[in-house]
Amino acid sequence: MARKLKNYIGGEWVDAQTETYLPVENPATCDVLAEVPESSAADVDKAVQAASEAFEEWRSTPILTRAQYMFRFKSLLEENFDDIARMIVEENGKTIDEARGELRRGIESVDFATSVPVLMRNDGVEDIASGIDETTLRQPVGVFAAITPFNFPVMVPLWFLPTAIACGNTYIVKPSPQTPVSMEMVMELIDELDLPEGVVNMVHGGVDAAQAILKHPGIQGISFVGSTPVAKIIYETGTAHGKRVQAQGGAKNYIAVMPDANMEASARNIMGAAYGCAGQRCLAAAVALGVGDAYERMRDILAEQAARLKVGYGLDESTQMGTVISAAAKARINSMIERAIEQGAELLLDGRNIQVQGYENGIFIGPTILTNVTPEMEIAQEEVFGPVLALMQVQDLDEAIGVINSSRYGNAASIFTSNGGHARTFKYRVRAGNIGINIGVAAPSASFPFGGQKQSFFGDLHGQGHDSIEFFTDRKVVIERWL
Amino acid sequence: MTELNTFGSILSYAIELEAQLQGYYLELGDESRARDAEKRKKKLERVRREHVVEITLEPIEGLNPDDYALNLGDKSADGQRAIETVAARFYADVAPKINVREAQRALEKCGKQHRALLS
Repeated sequence: MARKLKNYIGGEWVDAQTETYLPVENPATCDVLAEVPESSAADVDKAVQAASEAFEEWRSTPILTRAQYMFRFKSLLEENFDDIARMIVEENGKTIDEARGELRRGIESVDFATSVPVLMRNDGVEDIASGIDETTLRQPVGVFAAITPFNFPVMVPLWFLPTAIACGNTYIVKPSPQTPVSMEMVMELIDELDLPEGVVNMVHGGVDAAQAILKHPGIQGISFVGSTPVAKIIYETGTAHGKRVQAQGGAKNYIAVMPDANMEASARNIMGAAYGCAGQRCLAAAVALGVGDAYERMRDILAEQAARLKVGYGLDESTQMGTVISAAAKARINSMIERAIEQGAELLLDGRNIQVQGYENGIFIGPTILTNVTPEMEIAQEEVFGPVLALMQVQDLDEAIGVINSSRYGNAASIFTSNGGHARTFKYRVRAGNIGINIGVAAPSASFPFGGQKQSFFGDLHGQGHDSIEFFTDRKVVIERWL
Repeated sequence: MTELNTFGSILSYAIELEAQLQGYYLELGDESRARDAEKRKKKLERVRREHVVEITLEPIEGLNPDDYALNLGDKSADGQRAIETVAARFYADVAPKINVREAQRALEKCGKQHRALLS
């Protein structure tokens, strides 16, 4: 019988107040790794109470001490790096390289948080009026929470948690019920830090726990990453309940390939962008626009390279693409491929019936390429979140930018070119929050905000970078005169 | 035998190679070379952990692990030289395939150390 996961509240591992547990499955083997509780509103309330009680002591902990906790946290993550990465593979299905890369990016967010003594500094002006000085103070806000997705089970929580607590807030994480075990390992490391009890809490669960977080009056702000429909609900519900909210939604990321691009090198990078994490990332390349005569060369090279990708179990170091997350996801992706064909797309590379020796029950879809895609097709407009690359031909850069800007999403877009003028035009005119130039996965590092526009982001302040300092703090202005 | 087609598979192969060399030289009673192999192994473990760049993970082609098989049974001077030759060639071949300069540099340095043992 699989182990039942516990919540981490007030510095203790506690059972959720529920009888309902869901299996956490390894998507490559279908082994049940653990059972995750469907925590209730009462569990969320306990976590909020613990976080609220911890807040005053924690906010008055010297900022250099809070930074030291982050250094120690980083050390523990490094010491346990391989074990956490392996668990990410086991519960998510991505490759071990991708898991290591995810964890590395998560640690970069901890690195960023160690700079909090500098990041929280503010300014002031003497003699704003005669004998009057004016200064701004940056202060923590209170209890924050994150509702995080399955595709980056450790990296996304670490986008938020380290900065939030380094700023002096207290925190509640609700990991995805599909991938909660790796975050449990991280929480065990947080427990080793000996933070004041309640500074960091974790509540497992699904919709009920999320709803309770959204509506709880004790929570000041929420960070979310997931699909657009849910992000919209999170934003609307959270803000209606008086919270600040940053909600990252879905995406349809376009890549424009110019005739002057280094095609071989570009194709290798597009492989990673389209099929990395089996296409299950919000920055995945979904549509490649071949500009002019680049189209046919791009199509042929991509088809050749994609057909050679080794699909398998992520713990095998030589696997280049792992599983998708669930049978339901596989069915949804396959149905989108079928509808694309019905709408006139041609299947150049079909990954639907792939068999992986030794993992016959695994939830695999091989690299898939659709050609003759046109802008009005569902496959060109809606997020697939799977290893499916749609190819479209456009006449020139103007047309490419027009297609990209017509999307309701605005998460990321990339151009492959050796022409600086094309690159500048692209970054200047494209309406997307993250722009890649000869980079297919335009993922900002921890010190830059993770952009997102249109239906890909709801809120004002993005995750990461200085935006995150703004999000996790309030500014107070002190006007001072001594009589 | 694993393929050499990803960042991780190449680093892991290098780590295993150094682990084998550590054991080989320990059996020969050459503690200095064994210690050097262990240091390279630890460095490569760190490189695999610290220099993986998630956004530029790309498929790697053109490497065959059969080209780098070590004959660990041959403890003669010629055998040692043959092993170091293979190790040096391995690093020379794999370093250019890695698209993270810091990792590439570490692999190049390992190759340089193995080449130095041949002179």
